[in-house]
Amino acid sequence: MDGQIPIIERRKIERPDRQRLVLGLVGGIGLTLSLFTIKLPIFGYINLIHFLLGILITILAILLTYLYYSNREHRATLTIMERNYNHQLEEQKIAEESRQKLEKALLQGQKLQAIGTLAGGIAHDFNNVLYAIMGYTELTLEDIPSDSITHQNLTKVLEASKRGQELVSRILAFSRRHHHDFKPIPIKETLDSVLDLLRPTIPASVIVNFQPAAENSIILGNQTQLHQVIVNLITNAVDAMEGEGKIVIQTERMTNSDALTKYLPDAPLHQYYCKITVTDTGHGMDAATIERIFEPFFTTKEVGRGTGLGLSTAHSIITEHKGDIFVHSQPGQGATFTILLPEYNGELTHG
Amino acid sequence: MASILLVEDDDLVRDMLYQVLTRASHTVQTATNGEEAAEILSHSEPDVMVTDIIMPKKSGITLISEVKNKHPDMEIIAISGGGRLDPMGYLDLSESLGATISFEKPIDNAALLMAIDLLVHSKKTES
Repeated sequence: MDGQIPIIERRKIERPDRQRLVLGLVGGIGLTLSLFTIKLPIFGYINLIHFLLGILITILAILLTYLYYSNREHRATLTIMERNYNHQLEEQKIAEESRQKLEKALLQGQKLQAIGTLAGGIAHDFNNVLYAIMGYTELTLEDIPSDSITHQNLTKVLEASKRGQELVSRILAFSRRHHHDFKPIPIKETLDSVLDLLRPTIPASVIVNFQPAAENSIILGNQTQLHQVIVNLITNAVDAMEGEGKIVIQTERMTNSDALTKYLPDAPLHQYYCKITVTDTGHGMDAATIERIFEPFFTTKEVGRGTGLGLSTAHSIITEHKGDIFVHSQPGQGATFTILLPEYNGELTHG
Repeated sequence: MASILLVEDDDLVRDMLYQVLTRASHTVQTATNGEEAAEILSHSEPDVMVTDIIMPKKSGITLISEVKNKHPDMEIIAISGGGRLDPMGYLDLSESLGATISFEKPIDNAALLMAIDLLVHSKKTES
């Protein structure tokens, strides 16, 4: 843009001057030549015709010169207009693209919200159903001898209902809107609960192997958010393996003398970190994909399957937890996502 | 033994709780929503009101705040199956509005009965 303005300005200043100069020259030469014909010693009326012809040619020449210049000006204006138009088109395209991205993000947000509302509604009705089953069963248990088969079987009904109750409370805990309040949370239990929740959604042909460290780490964080990160990583892994393979989740406690902490330049001395790795045996990624993997709206999944927000959300959550997340992968070699989270040094408070 | 008003919109839960409470030899009146409960409370005063939170017509939250105004001595037990927004939030709210105890469904009925006994007993020793 900056380079274009001076050119336009220069034209505006120069064009009328040059046009006037050329018009003047053409007119002057024409008139001189026409006048010159009168002085020639030939018959008078021929001289007059020559003179008039000269004048006509001069006017014609002036007209042509004028037309030439006005045409040039016209064309210049057209070029500028065309450039402006193209520019506008481009701006419109960019605006349209960002609008689409925003719409998508909004849609995803609404989707999550809707799932939360739905889960809350279902949980409420489901708890009523479960409560009725459990209550009636307990009442019946009181009425029958405790050594009967019926008593045993009804005890099983109670057990099954209690499992249903746990499931509902897990769904609720999962869908509940996170308030971003950070609490000291144990890593092993956090991973256990999210894996319990995910297991029914993972195909049987995918083996999920959780290998927690002998020493459990406590970190300061938001359980719901961390659930979200792990869910994103594991669903991605399942998708990458196309229904068959192995996912290994490992935790490890490490000091910042570990080579990995070069990713965390701000890490204080003697800070312990909890390392969580999620490794899959999927199709892996090339360097170009890895470079963009945490970008919002970047997705390798087909339209409608991925929003491209999962890993960017994971990244922002981990950053919010003062940790880091990165990936190692090669095409055809699977992928390993590594999460580093600083350990909590204070007391573990309950409730 | 106490007189109890049970407010619950779910037919099965209401019937089940009615049986549980009467078996524990309490006198039980039932209402299916807050409006019905207010109607009953206009002519009788039970010792304890056990009320659900999410109900049609008049919610448990409204009912609790009204009852606490009109009958400040009545013991209120709030029960909820988890909210459409935040289950714990509703129970916390009901407690801050005047419910003495709140339970999350599915409730351990033995704990509910024990709570009722404790409330009624402490009330009787007070007066």
